[in-house]
Amino acid sequence: MQYGMVIDLDKCVGCHACAVACKAEWEVPTQYGRNWLRRLGPSNTPHGLASTYYPGLCNHCDQPSCVEVCPADTVMMEFKDSKTGKTMTMEVAATWKDPFNGTVQVDKKRCLGCGACADACPYGARYVNPDLADDDSDGKVDKCTYCMPRVEAGLEPACVQTCLSHARVFGDLDDPNSEVAKLVQKGATGLTSANVQIGPNSRYIGNKRDMALLNTSAPQEMPEANLRRNMLAHMIKPAMETAKNIGLAGIAGTLLVKSLDDDK
Amino acid sequence: MTMNLTRRKFLQAASVAAASVPLSNVVARAETAPGVAQAPLIPLGSFKDTKTVTGGICEMCFWRCQLVGKIKSDRLVKLEGNPKGIDNGPALCARGNAGIKLVYDPDRLKYPMKNVGQRGKPVWKKISWKEALDTCASKLKGTIKKYGAKGIGLWYHGASAHYPVAFFEYLGVPNTYEPAFYQCRGQTAMAMLQTMGFVPNEDVDMANSKAMLLIGSHIGENIHLSHVKNFIKGLQNGSKLVVVDPRFSSSAAKADIWVKIKPATDTAFLLGLMSYMMENGLYNKSFVEKHCHGFDQLKEHVSEWTLDKTAAECDIPVSQIKEVAALLGKNAPNVSIHPGRHASWYGDDYQRVRANACLTGLLGAMDCPGGIVRINRMSTGHVHWPEVEHEEDPEEFALAEMAEKYPFRPPGTPPHLMREAMITGEPYPIKSLVVWGTNPIKTMPQQEETMKAIKNMDFVMVTDVSPTDVTMWADILLPEACYLERYDHIEKGTQWDQSAKPQQFISARMPLIEPMFERKDPVWIINELAKRMGHGGDIPVHNQEEMVDHMLEEAHLSIEKLRELDGIYIQEGESPYLKPGEEPTFDTDSGKIELYSGALEDEEFAPMPVYTRAEEPPKGFARLIYGRSPVHSFNRSANNAWLCHEMPENPVWINDELADKMGLKDGDRVYLENQDGKRSGNSTAVKVTPGIRKDVVYIAHGYGTYNPSMTVSYKQGIDDNALNTKAKIEGETGVGGMRINFVRIVKDNKIINIPA
Repeated sequence: MQYGMVIDLDKCVGCHACAVACKAEWEVPTQYGRNWLRRLGPSNTPHGLASTYYPGLCNHCDQPSCVEVCPADTVMMEFKDSKTGKTMTMEVAATWKDPFNGTVQVDKKRCLGCGACADACPYGARYVNPDLADDDSDGKVDKCTYCMPRVEAGLEPACVQTCLSHARVFGDLDDPNSEVAKLVQKGATGLTSANVQIGPNSRYIGNKRDMALLNTSAPQEMPEANLRRNMLAHMIKPAMETAKNIGLAGIAGTLLVKSLDDDK
Repeated sequence: MTMNLTRRKFLQAASVAAASVPLSNVVARAETAPGVAQAPLIPLGSFKDTKTVTGGICEMCFWRCQLVGKIKSDRLVKLEGNPKGIDNGPALCARGNAGIKLVYDPDRLKYPMKNVGQRGKPVWKKISWKEALDTCASKLKGTIKKYGAKGIGLWYHGASAHYPVAFFEYLGVPNTYEPAFYQCRGQTAMAMLQTMGFVPNEDVDMANSKAMLLIGSHIGENIHLSHVKNFIKGLQNGSKLVVVDPRFSSSAAKADIWVKIKPATDTAFLLGLMSYMMENGLYNKSFVEKHCHGFDQLKEHVSEWTLDKTAAECDIPVSQIKEVAALLGKNAPNVSIHPGRHASWYGDDYQRVRANACLTGLLGAMDCPGGIVRINRMSTGHVHWPEVEHEEDPEEFALAEMAEKYPFRPPGTPPHLMREAMITGEPYPIKSLVVWGTNPIKTMPQQEETMKAIKNMDFVMVTDVSPTDVTMWADILLPEACYLERYDHIEKGTQWDQSAKPQQFISARMPLIEPMFERKDPVWIINELAKRMGHGGDIPVHNQEEMVDHMLEEAHLSIEKLRELDGIYIQEGESPYLKPGEEPTFDTDSGKIELYSGALEDEEFAPMPVYTRAEEPPKGFARLIYGRSPVHSFNRSANNAWLCHEMPENPVWINDELADKMGLKDGDRVYLENQDGKRSGNSTAVKVTPGIRKDVVYIAHGYGTYNPSMTVSYKQGIDDNALNTKAKIEGETGVGGMRINFVRIVKDNKIINIPA
């Protein structure tokens, strides 16, 4: 299973409701955002004059550049598949990609507030809130969780619920019958470029001119800090152990374990 | 324990501004030292451990979506659309979501206050309600004694003003001004009424149309929730969209045809379009024969508007007029000819809306899928103060009547007439001003005149939720409960998509939380004022609950019943589409759609729509046009911290080729200066774009707050209305045009002319 979101730019009118609903739902300080809406254009594109929006959020990437750079001490964490009840245990730092639902999450209790993950994200999807600094940290990092606590309670993500034209669709990209998977089949794509190919799972669909304009917002380089922080992180923390299966690992979990191995 | 600076700063801020601390801080406070709030690491979300309160109706704008509130420990933490609703459903726009930032805005008015400084430069002293009301009552009584009830002027807006307006009308006050009519929708309502016999508002069935025509309407930047749903559904259903706008607006960006029209020539466009359509049979012949009055006269009248002449006047290609005509003609009657909303543009707007209505008639685009629809809403009652005999008949002292002007005016007093009377005392003195929920500093053109008029008052009383600009001019300032803390409005409607199963709903605004500090609801304020002015015996309702129950009675509903129904009563409705064989009726003199209006002719106005060429910008200037920001309702929401964060200022759109010639780059800081040398008080960023014509510049309306008490929005962006030093009032309605001023750019204190 891989949760994902598709935003239909033909339906989006750029009302900013998504950004504001998220602030209310998760008490995000005014100056930050777990998601955002940027107004693009009017600008010329190869397909004509265009004006559209970049409703951005964490991409919960297939290869999240934020996860591997976290220098926090690792712990063994048990994950549970909400559908099947299967469990597996993985060694994680303070941020990880969930082996069952594919979302990227943060443990704020153990977050050091160093900002390595925020620096590593080419999309700028994370922020560090220095107001949450405590004796063990310089603040806490925060970002979109795909509203997992809401989803687990049977609700839609706050931004999806409030979207007035149903431009935002959330669901399991691995389920071919889901609305999101169908939109991907119709051509929904993530914001990627030649040098930034980390498998974003928040995707966009729209007419050619709007998509051309949106793509001007795609990051062109992986952040510089990524390399530096990456090295630093790997020097600090012990080599990541191979994730261990304690329960019955699902296929997704197994694949992820494999990819972690490859990564080393 | 060590504490870094940011943390200390945070703690200080948290203990001072307790009212604006997010909820979890408050919860956490119980576990930590007194006065020290620790923010939670992991907020629970609005759905956990909260109580859902139903019955809210939004008033961040005036579309009035139905709400529920999520409450945690008596504190409102989130607003959501009422899931039971058939209008906005569970959705809310940015402003709706940001309502909680209004409720807990530390800048909000908290106590009655007295201005011990000057009007415009206030020094506030907190006073008791008793002192405030005693003062207001004695001052207003004094004015009535000396000048009669006509010595009072009332400026008002919004649902909270309905009961106060009824009271002042009961007193015999003839001077009432509402910007919603005189700087917004007045001409639209009146011109549609004169032509079709009813006011369609914006009941246009875009969702089920085959083509849509928007003249200047920028749905998307103008967010009215179910209206946007309607528009987007139409596009998704394949309806072809034509947008006529000098700017590549949010709607133009979704259009099939963008008519990049020269500003102020829209009426010429409509006349040319109709001429070509009538000439070439691109209209609804059977409808016109049965239901339009004056077809032949109109055809003759518009015949001068040939394709070439129209194209030249509007600076658009001939082919585009033909294309639009063919599209609309082919799809008649299932076309949405949007009547528009805010229409006070060029000072001849009644004629443009008339032309728009005539086009609707030619296409028969009404009472059918895609057309203007007469939506069947349920009805509810009104609260009346008793009819009393006045020493002076208020109708005789209506300023427009005395001036023998503006026979087709919307309800109330044309504001320029009231302002003139306030300044000159002619035809009679107006010496006390009551302002309720409106901010005419930002609505009425010619700000200097407005300020002069207010300065000339013996007494000024202002009631509002927030310290808007006009509150700086009050003698007594009264803090009102906001829309989440009071009863007043009854919302009535139907399912948002007219092709769906017909349903009707009624919802009454109910408070989601108690008002804090000394804020009061308008029924309480007015009743207390009435008692002190000697009218206690005539009070029609004792409190806001009684008022709403009284209004609901006609629909056999009550507050209690609505609460049991989660805030919304829904029953089976009736489709607005005509049944096969059914013919429409029109409540006009001729019983038909009046392409030709005898009533207009009788009053010596053009009986058929005419185009007046607007004044051109002087050399070096471009026309200033304005529109809406999707996250603001004019200046009302400017101080909302979340909304301000989304769009903190209003960049000035300048054509890219012009900007290149002027040496301006995206993001440059500039001021605007108008033809009378009036310079904007604040600067804003330049937005360089190919999406605007060279003869206009554009900013969003509502920015540039003057009141330093509005700490979030103070001096953010440019106030377009400050640049409206010139006014043009149209004869039919007394409504003024507001896109008739011209500006050039000022950068680094140097004037940069706009090249031709």
